[in-house]
Amino acid sequence: MSTPTPGADVSQSTVIFAEKRRVSTFGILAELWGARELVMQFTMRDITIRYAQAVMGFAWALLMPMLIVAAGLIFRLAFTNASGTAGQTSSIASLLVKSLPWAFFSAAISLATQSILASANLMGKVKFPREALPFASVLAQSLDLLVGAVLIAIVLVVLGTPLSWSVLWVPLLVVLLILFTIGWGLLLSCANLFYRDVKYIVQVCLNFGVFATPVFFEPQMLGPKYGAIMLKLPLSPFIQGLDLAAVRGHNLLHPLALPASNGTMVTVWSPWMLVYALVLTLVTLWTGLRVFRRASALFAEMA
Amino acid sequence: MDHTLAFDHIWKRFRRGAVHDSLRELIPAIVRKLAGRDRAELGARDFWALSDVSFEVKPGEVQGIIGSNGAGKSTTLKILNELMEPTKGRVHIRGKIGSLIEVSAGFHQDLTGRQNVFLQGSIMGMKKAEVTKKFDQIVEFSGVSDFIDTPVKRYSSGMNARLGFSIAAHLEPDVLIVDEVLSVGDYGFQQRAFAKIKKMATDGIPIVLVSHQLDRISELCTKVILLERGTVKTSGTAAHCINTYLHPPESDAPDPEAALHGFRLQSLHSLNGLAIPSGTDLSLLLVGESLKSSYPYDWNLVCSVKNASTAAEVHSVAASARGIPLPTETKFEHRIDLQMNLPPGGYIVQSFLWASDTGRRIITGPTLTVQVIAAAKFFGSAQLNLRWSDVTGNSSVIPSGETMPSNNGNFDVPDDPVGRA
Repeated sequence: MSTPTPGADVSQSTVIFAEKRRVSTFGILAELWGARELVMQFTMRDITIRYAQAVMGFAWALLMPMLIVAAGLIFRLAFTNASGTAGQTSSIASLLVKSLPWAFFSAAISLATQSILASANLMGKVKFPREALPFASVLAQSLDLLVGAVLIAIVLVVLGTPLSWSVLWVPLLVVLLILFTIGWGLLLSCANLFYRDVKYIVQVCLNFGVFATPVFFEPQMLGPKYGAIMLKLPLSPFIQGLDLAAVRGHNLLHPLALPASNGTMVTVWSPWMLVYALVLTLVTLWTGLRVFRRASALFAEMA
Repeated sequence: MDHTLAFDHIWKRFRRGAVHDSLRELIPAIVRKLAGRDRAELGARDFWALSDVSFEVKPGEVQGIIGSNGAGKSTTLKILNELMEPTKGRVHIRGKIGSLIEVSAGFHQDLTGRQNVFLQGSIMGMKKAEVTKKFDQIVEFSGVSDFIDTPVKRYSSGMNARLGFSIAAHLEPDVLIVDEVLSVGDYGFQQRAFAKIKKMATDGIPIVLVSHQLDRISELCTKVILLERGTVKTSGTAAHCINTYLHPPESDAPDPEAALHGFRLQSLHSLNGLAIPSGTDLSLLLVGESLKSSYPYDWNLVCSVKNASTAAEVHSVAASARGIPLPTETKFEHRIDLQMNLPPGGYIVQSFLWASDTGRRIITGPTLTVQVIAAAKFFGSAQLNLRWSDVTGNSSVIPSGETMPSNNGNFDVPDDPVGRA
């Protein structure tokens, strides 16, 4: 083999497209904005395939949240029985509202994790902003979130949940949740390309993750100490905030404490959690974009 | 602005083996490494897929890249497409790149042809409005218009590829990269696809073409590089590179065989150029030297013509069979005239000294690649110099038993026989 290659001079390699590799995070976002039609095409592809049979499509949008609600009801029944306390039968409305974002997060992460590997045959063929794939996976899942939200809104009205101005917090939290999910989707989709068993680990984490978020539990069920820990878990500010704003009509700019079963007051919301949600979203999205862009230079070699 | 594309001393290193693509493999490997074992595995496993490859393509030029599997052609294209970064070196591209590389890669089997046109167009960087505008053209070119609203999983593989090619062909790029897509679809589609690329070349778009179809290379490319194990083995005209590719030259050192056998074949030249209109004569001059006064009785000087793309022998004749004895103790010059009654394409002419009893080649002489170019249009594998006239009601003009006169090029040749002007 003719390799007149002194090993030393490789270190001073000139990298082509160097200017593109050092692109800023805003640069990446601008590039994606430029490729928004592509993101939409991928999104439409994912949606079209799932909603090819309209009935099944809508059924999917509802099935996961319904399963989670059912699981949550059983879980709470068991929990209250076991602890021997008079159960705080938290309303079905609240359980519904909290199961939807979790179902969204879980499904979107599963889809996004596999998005790059599923298009592996494109990686060595065509150049396009790779970020479009996990973005589209999460956006396609957002349609399910929207469909679910409309249906739950109807149920809430039927259940007689009072409507208040605080419901205006919902869109903000939903947007933050979507961006947060995209951040994770970016990280996990490239991790799964480099290490193909990441998707199994993700699946296990998603299966158990529901217990680490205030979907089944409520902070006041856990007492002041563990309740505070629960509120610090990454999805908590989104899920807790949505519940309080949509079902309890609580203005998220004010703190809220609720009595635990033994009568002590437990903090279930603090305005700082809005800041926490915002910081989590920005940090995750930024990290996701940086890591993904860095790794995407190797996609053609890995796929 | 002139659109150009250049490879400036590109090196690309790959890691061979020991790539862990699952955590299940990675974690034990890390543990092993931490435990101090497994050291020797690293380091020596690099290999260079490309070493110091350079070329430049200007408007109006078509750069061909040929070479065996694993020579570095795909890596070159991936680097050109900005899918991979070279380890060392720079790529300069001025203009929007379009690439015809396995063109239906983005199709989703459950979507209809129409949906896939928009999806694929978008993946290739077209705006939706642009696709909408060109949609009818794309579908018409592909020839699948009857099935455009059918999911592509019901398409034949040829239809799939045709639709994919049509989308890519309507990109209107500033520079074009073509990878082995000329064999897509049926004969008619291949002709149209080839004509399309030729049109782009004529329009002055710099093109890089990778193909194993050497006749296409020689027909389309203005220059070629031959890659071998990541290095540029040779570059220059299509004929030269194809020739080197098919018949790697022996070492430049004085041929020990020639000294041994006392016979030398020095050169083979064409007296009338390397582009020969189909059906006309190719005149060759074979120069050599004979050092001995006698040779084994079965030694023959042979001239053979092979098809450059298939390497199949077309015609082979020994000098003795034409009454020319093997020269003895003299420098010699032989003139060989061949009527190239062959379809357009590349042909390799070679002279060698051959032992008819054993069928062994004693000395392989120089080779020459010539291009037979289209004259009067015909289909098939031989040019029969057919003359066709309407003699309705005038049967007396039909000669009986007349032998065909030689007809050296006395038939219509189109204005632009090479089609590359």
